[in-house]
Amino acid sequence: MNRLWKEFSKGLWNDLPPFKLVLGLCPVLAVTKTAYNGLGMGMAVIFVLALSNLLVSLLRKLIPAKVRIACFIVVAASLVVCVELLMQAYAYPLYQQLGIFVPLIVVNCIILGRAEAFASKNPAYLAVADGIGMGMGFTISLTLLGSIREIFGYGTWFGLEIMGDWFEPFTFMVEAPGAFVCLGLILAGMNTLTNWQRKNKGLEAIQGPVHDCKTCGMCTSKPGA
Amino acid sequence: MREMLKMILVLSMICGLSGLTLATVRQATSERIEEQIMTFVQGPSLEQIFSDYDNNPVKDRKTFVLPNGPVTVFPAMKNGKLSGVAFETFGKGYGGNIGVMVGFSTDGSRLEGIGITTLKETPGLGARIVEPEFRDQFKNLPTINIALKKEGGQISAISGATISSTGTVAAVNDAVKIFQQIKDQIPSEWGS
Repeated sequence: MNRLWKEFSKGLWNDLPPFKLVLGLCPVLAVTKTAYNGLGMGMAVIFVLALSNLLVSLLRKLIPAKVRIACFIVVAASLVVCVELLMQAYAYPLYQQLGIFVPLIVVNCIILGRAEAFASKNPAYLAVADGIGMGMGFTISLTLLGSIREIFGYGTWFGLEIMGDWFEPFTFMVEAPGAFVCLGLILAGMNTLTNWQRKNKGLEAIQGPVHDCKTCGMCTSKPGA
Repeated sequence: MREMLKMILVLSMICGLSGLTLATVRQATSERIEEQIMTFVQGPSLEQIFSDYDNNPVKDRKTFVLPNGPVTVFPAMKNGKLSGVAFETFGKGYGGNIGVMVGFSTDGSRLEGIGITTLKETPGLGARIVEPEFRDQFKNLPTINIALKKEGGQISAISGATISSTGTVAAVNDAVKIFQQIKDQIPSEWGS
């Protein structure tokens, strides 16, 4: 139970995909014009990630090591096409908004990354917990980014008018550069928070970009950990 | 050798199962997807064309088989009486095909209006064909000799977007031709 919670919760903060691992940035930047789009994209990713982790984990003893990547991609691609068809059938306006980014979930590195790094080495229940946790972290991040951009760019949140008449929409935020700026500010904020927490624990602050294995979590061997 | 066989076998099996799953899902959703596309892509353009109708044109649509392929026709009805029909044609635009929904009065003598369904034109230039300023020029236009002003017609092109404007007019003229072919079948299809 403890282990299950650990694998689930790591995706929510410690290994938060877009902000801590900085993975899967293409949809993060492209579809977060509004909070609703971010949430929709995140839901699709949760579905694909949880099921692809489950299938990969169940098949892990069967899949020969040499063709494992091909197998993972086939599994992920099939799931993504399922999501695409279901979205077209039941949430067409969302599909119109997300467009090409739904099929592109196939090549989102989070899907393949979790399959390779986690699901192919762990039992099914842990893999599903990992997938749902990572997916939820991804969804929360996208919704947060979408909310910020929507509130400043359109003055609305999930389509609801929340800023008064005085508010002049800051359209820069809903265009592509706004996504980068916003993501940068969030990353800066998260780094500051991490360093502040470390300082409180009496540890040294992290200076500059850190891309050692500790911040990644994509493989089981963590030299510095 | 055994390893190679296993690889081929496993990969083929996974691919086969994926194919089977996808075919099933596709079959199960295809009808609903078509309905959704009609509602969200063609539906809004119908609202731009007809203002006074009380039926659901998407639901009442019928497909006509023509030598050049089938055409889906959407009827607009008021109190059970047919007041106009619309269908989609395509014209060559700057960034691919422009889908134009063309609405006709029941006898086909004039246009009810047009609506744009799909386009990939340049924002701010060609994409302005969706604006009422351009579209409304087609409202109540007689269906003979529709052309841009510079070709002696009555439609003002959008400045800087001649290709998009020409493509739209071409699609409308295409629709006029198609209408002539289905004209006789229309009254019997929706009974008025």
